[in-house]
Amino acid sequence: MSIVLEKLTKRYDEHPVVNNVSLEIKDGEFFVLLGSSGSGKTTILSLIAGLVPADQGRILLHGRDVTWLPPQQRNVGFVFQNYALFQYMTVTDNVEFGLSIRKVPAIKRRQRRDELLELVGLAGLGNRMPWQLSGGQQQRVALARALAYQPDVLLLDEPLGALDAKIRIELRRNLKSIQRKLGVATIFVTHDQEEAFDLADRIGVMSYGRLLEVGTPEELYQQPQTEFVASFLGTANLMVGRLTSQGVNLGKWHFPKPKDIQEIGTERRVQVLFRPEDVALAPDAADLDCPNLGQADVEAVSFAGAYERLRLRLPPIPGVRPISPVVAFGSDFFLIDATRSPEQASRFPLHPGEKAWVGVHRIHALAHPGLNFLILTDGSPRSEAAISLGGQIGRLAHARVTLLGCGQTTEQLDAHLEEARKQLGSGLAAIETLLISEPAVHAVAQAVEKRPYDMIIMGFGYQEDLQLAEQILEAGEHNLLLVPQPQPTPSKALICVAIGEPGKDDVLFAGRLVSHLSAEATLLSVLPSSVHDQNMNSRIERFLEGGVRSLSLLGVPAKTVVRSGLTSEEIYTAVRENGYDLVVLGAPLSKPGRRISLGGVVSQTLEKITTCSVLIVRSHYYRG
Amino acid sequence: MIPNKLPWGRWAVRGAALTYLIFLLIIPLLVIFRDGLREGLAGLWHQITLPIAWHALLLTLWTAAVMTLINTVMGAITAYVLVRYDFPAKALINSVVDVPLAIPTLVTGVMLVILFGPQQVLGAWLKEVFGISIIFAPPGIVLALLFITFPFVVRVVQPVLQNMDRTQEDAAVTLGAGAWTIFRRITLPPLILPLTSGALLSFARAIGEFGSVVIVAGNIPFYSQTAAVYLLGEVESENRLGASAVSIVMIAIAFGLMMLVDWLQRRDRRVYK
Repeated sequence: MSIVLEKLTKRYDEHPVVNNVSLEIKDGEFFVLLGSSGSGKTTILSLIAGLVPADQGRILLHGRDVTWLPPQQRNVGFVFQNYALFQYMTVTDNVEFGLSIRKVPAIKRRQRRDELLELVGLAGLGNRMPWQLSGGQQQRVALARALAYQPDVLLLDEPLGALDAKIRIELRRNLKSIQRKLGVATIFVTHDQEEAFDLADRIGVMSYGRLLEVGTPEELYQQPQTEFVASFLGTANLMVGRLTSQGVNLGKWHFPKPKDIQEIGTERRVQVLFRPEDVALAPDAADLDCPNLGQADVEAVSFAGAYERLRLRLPPIPGVRPISPVVAFGSDFFLIDATRSPEQASRFPLHPGEKAWVGVHRIHALAHPGLNFLILTDGSPRSEAAISLGGQIGRLAHARVTLLGCGQTTEQLDAHLEEARKQLGSGLAAIETLLISEPAVHAVAQAVEKRPYDMIIMGFGYQEDLQLAEQILEAGEHNLLLVPQPQPTPSKALICVAIGEPGKDDVLFAGRLVSHLSAEATLLSVLPSSVHDQNMNSRIERFLEGGVRSLSLLGVPAKTVVRSGLTSEEIYTAVRENGYDLVVLGAPLSKPGRRISLGGVVSQTLEKITTCSVLIVRSHYYRG
Repeated sequence: MIPNKLPWGRWAVRGAALTYLIFLLIIPLLVIFRDGLREGLAGLWHQITLPIAWHALLLTLWTAAVMTLINTVMGAITAYVLVRYDFPAKALINSVVDVPLAIPTLVTGVMLVILFGPQQVLGAWLKEVFGISIIFAPPGIVLALLFITFPFVVRVVQPVLQNMDRTQEDAAVTLGAGAWTIFRRITLPPLILPLTSGALLSFARAIGEFGSVVIVAGNIPFYSQTAAVYLLGEVESENRLGASAVSIVMIAIAFGLMMLVDWLQRRDRRVYK
């Protein structure tokens, strides 16, 4: 093994940017780390090179533990995104830099430098200054410089990112052949999946500091294990269906069991993936030689050179939730992406507005992670209410529930957790207990770092717990359910939305939860009483109606209410008059890692609503 | 075609700016040259080489040179610390750097006299233990000049350090270079031109300094009398020729240095592209 990473973790401001990453890279392997910006891939390179110190874990290069060695002693070659050529040195001096540090005699240095400039195709340009070179040439100098002293491993940080498409492809080929020739184990970081597919022996996909999956390009494309990888690599049609002993059901449509599933065990929810090239289109169901999903409208057709790309609208399939392509807020249809060869297209030409039957040749089923809940408890009566409601919701939502005991001594918590576990016991898909004998804030931060949760459930008293609620929201991306007193499973939810982008996220998560509870929903928007603007009114109504359509796609019956007055007052009145037993509010917007303040509407509402639980939903607005 | 519609307006702006420049700068300069050359080059030379004038000029030049050396090194270090390190009250200290530009130089002189004067604690101690006089002596001049020119090097080097691409240093680290090599071969080269122009600027500023020097150094001919102070004496004793002659030398030095700084900065931009 050339590079071994063991449970590597790096935090900035308490926030893990590299989270428990383990990885082994073979001798001579070309490994690509793929992820969007901010996923931690560059930090991994910096950790291996020693430019930043690791917080936890070990780094081994050719069996040598380098975790605590200074970067100068690690013998890695590093090519930076901006090349980082030494601006005040010639190309020659740049390439020879590593050799001169190692006190290699001038004759050998010259020989090696000429070899390398030849290898990267820059022979004869040694006397130029970096600013006299084109971007592609600079990149090649950076590569030659990193290879000059025969490093043990080569680390490349988006080295082709700043180049034109054409040069990029040419340099990609060059890079691969040079790497093959030298046989040096290489990690190449990129956010460009085409680049990753082209170069990699194996790919590792990263998201939010975690290494989600590792595999060959084919494996990751055809048989991804996670939703993120399925939709991140290439275009994916992804939806939630059911796996039974007969095969896979998407609502009333049935598909035979995919070949890569050996054992079915019990019937369960799965995510169903098919790629655009797996979609077949025909004028009639009878013309399809594969199972179909019904008749669709053609929304768009575009020409992509070697193939034709289509986007189709399917009517909603009851019991099936689409994941990708993302359905726009306010739409109540499915989207399907398809591609066809020119030959197929000429046999059955299609234009926007026309109809076609949608068949699927091949599907892949991957585990549906479902929802992850964390119930916070310190043994107080308020926690009892949270455990009881959290248990009920968890059962209905098929969620994995984690009970987190905190804020007490270990012995007290031990007994308490044992009892709570017994109480929750049966009917839960999965339950585990976690005991962190520390104040709630720290306990949650530790638990969330190990595994992200969709929702945290806690008992709530306005006076005592408002600040704690803020801090818990700051600890991660989760939604928060506050339970002021024991209550039965919610059957009528009041979703309070402000018009605009963040409000859409509020509706979608609330809808997903409410659909599991088989509850009905009311979308409420409150206008300040000072506003008497017909235009504003109709915009709000359009927005709420969009919300109703989106909820109907999730199978949630919904109606809309617009009130005018003071927001928290109106919410309170609505709850009292109509007996809602779950109130959904949007969390105040904040950028990730920033402080969150539950001032204003949220806190006023929390102060008034003491009889039913309140769900505070996070918007992904700032995550882009 | 809009630009052609208002030719008068454009010429008026140019004319105003040029007239202003001519009246404010060029005419006074021409007058002093004419005045100094009233008795020809030989007369000018005679005035400059009078022993008292010559000594004043040399004293001015060597104190400015010593100040420039110290200021360059310390200014570079200050800029480095201000850019690269974090410490409490950094913003405050950063703005204190500019204080010498804002306070009257006479005040600078008074401060130094209070601190180092022979009757003061520090001054007396230095005199007793090391036998060094600061006030009314050349070291006082150097100190005063150091104080007033402090911002020049710092403020020229700071932006260059700030905009420097740190990944070059990271690259050098991965290539195996130690801290000293990195400083010498990566960090320092881009700083040399700004350092030089900062040094020349402070030198140019120093040779004309009057206010602080007259307080700190007094007016002792052949010992602590600088060119600017000598000049005042000549004006007061109505030796216009002497005053103009020394003025011309000082103007020539300052002008030469400014040209050099200008040339260096243009060259620097060419390298950076």
